[in-house]
Amino acid sequence: MFDKITSYKPDIDKTFKMLDKTYQDAINHKGGNVTFRALPPSDYDFYSKFDLTKYNYETDLEKYAQDYCSLLKKAYELRKNVDDNMIPTVSPMLGIGDYSAFVTGEIDFRPDTSWSSPSLKSVEDWKKLPPIGTAKWYKKFLEIEEYLLQISAESGIPFMRGFFSPLDLAGTLRGDGIYYDFYDSPEELHELLNYCADATIMFAEDIYSLAEKYLGNTKYGMYFCKGMINMSEDIACMISGDLYREFALPHTQKVIDYFGVGHMHTHSRSMYLVKEVCSLKNVANLWLPTDPNAPRPIDHIDELVKDANGVCLAIDCDNFSEIENNIEKLKKGNFSITLAVKNIEEAIQYTDRFKKIL
Amino acid sequence: MNLENISLSLQKGKAKDVKVLVQEALDNNVTPKTILNEGLIKGMGIIGTKFKNNEVFVPEVLVAARAMNAGLEILRPVLVQEGVKPIGKALICTVQGDLHDIGKNLVKIMLEGQGFDCVDLGVDVSADTIVSAIKEHNPNVLCLSALLTTTMDYQKIIIEAIEEAGLRDKVKILVGGAPVTDSFAQKIGADGYSADAASASELAVKIIAG
Repeated sequence: MFDKITSYKPDIDKTFKMLDKTYQDAINHKGGNVTFRALPPSDYDFYSKFDLTKYNYETDLEKYAQDYCSLLKKAYELRKNVDDNMIPTVSPMLGIGDYSAFVTGEIDFRPDTSWSSPSLKSVEDWKKLPPIGTAKWYKKFLEIEEYLLQISAESGIPFMRGFFSPLDLAGTLRGDGIYYDFYDSPEELHELLNYCADATIMFAEDIYSLAEKYLGNTKYGMYFCKGMINMSEDIACMISGDLYREFALPHTQKVIDYFGVGHMHTHSRSMYLVKEVCSLKNVANLWLPTDPNAPRPIDHIDELVKDANGVCLAIDCDNFSEIENNIEKLKKGNFSITLAVKNIEEAIQYTDRFKKIL
Repeated sequence: MNLENISLSLQKGKAKDVKVLVQEALDNNVTPKTILNEGLIKGMGIIGTKFKNNEVFVPEVLVAARAMNAGLEILRPVLVQEGVKPIGKALICTVQGDLHDIGKNLVKIMLEGQGFDCVDLGVDVSADTIVSAIKEHNPNVLCLSALLTTTMDYQKIIIEAIEEAGLRDKVKILVGGAPVTDSFAQKIGADGYSADAASASELAVKIIAG
């Protein structure tokens, strides 16, 4: 279905080299890399055409994979002349529910996302769960991955999968009870977080092994899997830096250490935690999207450069002037800047303008 | 009797201590209304302000609220006996299509901290359910929460349903949630918007005072 990955960028080798250098410098706490991502509507509006409730996940997995890849292909074809830092990837899209259902529970699908309900009534209830790897959605996810790989592997497009951090996974399994656990049952909470770290490691290992089977011989297919883990720290924005350091950080670090390098995600609402997340060892990237009614990263570049300590921050801005006006400050750290544009023509135009101000 | 200790214990989330201190205050003939206002509500007010200023976060608010409820368990029967009434009644929920409840729960905690009687309709609540609940509970304030850009528009549908039911003049409607803004609140015909839980409860107090 897909064409070769080389056909989806003007010069894919150059794009990967640019990312390699950014991530390598980030790990070594060396700044100076600023890259640009144009975001035309075609990069995301296909999600609204992909109704998750349309599929029976017992019988329609092949159709699901075909439909999804077909939408992805159209989106990548449209932007093939945009010479920005965006790399085409294939990643299962099942909403939010599967991020914890691989441990236990069912997924409640809605048209544009999915949910799962908290399943641990007590912080120690994880001990009663069946062994990791036996849950229905653990196996189902791998089946879906395989269908996607069968369609996409020949193109060499990288497979990508993000995970909840141990704190996010524990928070989803436990529900709001976790907020009391910090104070009522700190030792038991550490045990739950450690279990979540182990579950994530095992699940990621299985996902990556399957990807390796199909993409091991391709040049870039394993780029976002080999030696790398991509994790969210969303629930972190509900807690203080002190609690993050004490409870979340050691377990997130355990997962990163297992794979090598961490690519993290949190929200601008938790900008006060950038310093903590970037203090994790071997973090190369932190995606920090702007939340409504929250501080905008582009307005706090000086602080962010200091707090990130070289980690590449993927941030967004409202207009090109914000990039132009901040470019010298941005160069002191490592940044990937996303700008929403109206169409592909504008994406090409702004990508060219960005090259000129570098 | 030093009511400051009740406030301080509440802020630290020491539920057992709050319970003991409230009982001690009652034993020392401090009026239940004074204990409520100068111990529990004062403590919760300080937590609310600290939450607004990012000095404390969700876990600290929740354990403080639990401590407040522990104190209220002792105090409530006496308050009822003396005829001390809540300052108002609030109906609260997360709108249909949205399952997030932490923001809604925090607003509820802060409203109770201000002395409101709260009826919590839960999450994923339809306009019909809300219209029925307004008829049943006759609240002064309705608080609608939505965390997603895809669900915030349902706040408008609810307001329209309330108008159609002829109940719009009976209740003040406050909206909130991560993607909601003041201009959005005005656009959909809400009576108010707040960026955080503590401000929401302050606005509710102001709005019912006229």
